[in-house]
Amino acid sequence: MRVMVDEGKCQGHGRCYDLAPDVFEPDERGHVDVAVHGDLPAVLQPDARIGVRNCPEAALRLIAETGERRAPHSMSVG
Amino acid sequence: MTKGLAVTHQSDEENRRAIRARVTGSPRPPRQTYQRPRESAPKQQKDVIVGRRCDVEEVLRHPEIYSSAGRASVGSARPMCPVELDPPTHSAWRAALDPLFAPNQIGEFASSIARLAAGLIDGFAGEPEIDFATEFSVPFPAQVLMMLLGLPLEDLPWLLDLKDGVTRPNRALGKPQDDPEVISYQTMMTTEVYNYFGTALDTRQGDPTDDLLSRLLEVEVDGQRLSREALLDVCFGLLVEGINPMSAALDCVFARLATYPEFRDAVAANPRQALEELLRWEAPVTFVTRTAVTNTVLGGCPISAGQQVFVLLSAANVDPVENCDADVLRWNREVNRHLAFGAGVHRCLGSHLARLELSIALREWHARIPHYSIDRSTDLAFITGVRTVDRFPMHLGRQS
Repeated sequence: MRVMVDEGKCQGHGRCYDLAPDVFEPDERGHVDVAVHGDLPAVLQPDARIGVRNCPEAALRLIAETGERRAPHSMSVG
Repeated sequence: MTKGLAVTHQSDEENRRAIRARVTGSPRPPRQTYQRPRESAPKQQKDVIVGRRCDVEEVLRHPEIYSSAGRASVGSARPMCPVELDPPTHSAWRAALDPLFAPNQIGEFASSIARLAAGLIDGFAGEPEIDFATEFSVPFPAQVLMMLLGLPLEDLPWLLDLKDGVTRPNRALGKPQDDPEVISYQTMMTTEVYNYFGTALDTRQGDPTDDLLSRLLEVEVDGQRLSREALLDVCFGLLVEGINPMSAALDCVFARLATYPEFRDAVAANPRQALEELLRWEAPVTFVTRTAVTNTVLGGCPISAGQQVFVLLSAANVDPVENCDADVLRWNREVNRHLAFGAGVHRCLGSHLARLELSIALREWHARIPHYSIDRSTDLAFITGVRTVDRFPMHLGRQS
């Protein structure tokens, strides 16, 4: 599972890195940087979900790696 | 001022009566005011009222249709930067200014901000009664802004006069907004704002320090240092946007906590989550405005170029499509995507500072003043828009 950022949508609210600082971090202007590149370790996935779902701009998504089974819950962030 | 505002006032009045019948004396819940807009498609009147979450997002994410130019009525001679700019100019400005207000940058001031909060609170903690507005919710954010900018704290009374002179000259003079005296006072104070910050910038021009004003002198937009006028336009924006909305947030949050002591347990248990829920619920800045620059359609409502659009952040925050139990303060929300700081390219530049100030205020306050209350008979008169109160009598200590 990986985090995808739509940089055109991120406005630097900072909810993701407040809620899941092990997965997300602020860049120098307060927009999101993903702290974990590539596949997310299972232990970080719950935090990543929280960060993704709380983005006011719906700028974040979680995507399953090829061959990985889709998570049972919807990843939609509305 | 405009028909759109009048509409908001009217529904305020109606709802106020309904609420009084139920909860005598408690602060007016904003959600009641926005029962209709949050569930209705945009309304075609002289101005357009937008309250559903989906429509609010649509407006705020399309600055090419809904412009921020000329939206503020604060008497500034030129547009305030960056709030009254549109992309692409705005984008360059935000890229330059965002780093000054980024969380890591702002976080360095946490202990200084805490000292300011503690200093104010220690000054009145032994009193039986205070006016929360004059003693805390106004001076605290003003002092923080002055500290960041590197302005001497003894200028506080003058800075507040300047702020009120440009943002609320009618209240400063106690006369109607269209009174000629109010208009000339606002114009005079606008000039004084430019004078005050001009002098402060001059001092730093030859002798820079590490304060925010000195750093502004170094900022480049599109590879160019800011002109004198541009610097003053940023300062004007910081004065207008940097104090009143923070005072409103403090007034809203502390009014709620003073009225419902049990809510303080939630703040103590999980301060950040509780603060986000209070921001969603209270929406201290109730609405922002935009002007349509082309003919368009929003949620089925035709909008003509030139029409003003009132974007009700408060209504969007209690839209049941976005939030389950939208009308309930729920302290354990796993998802809270509230728009108290706006959305889109104009997301509040100071949102990280505001969150830090609020969390510090809550912490320092409750460490010193665990017991406080408002008389049931006190009707806090929140100003529509940026929800401050002029008078906020509060009892400190246990009430017998």
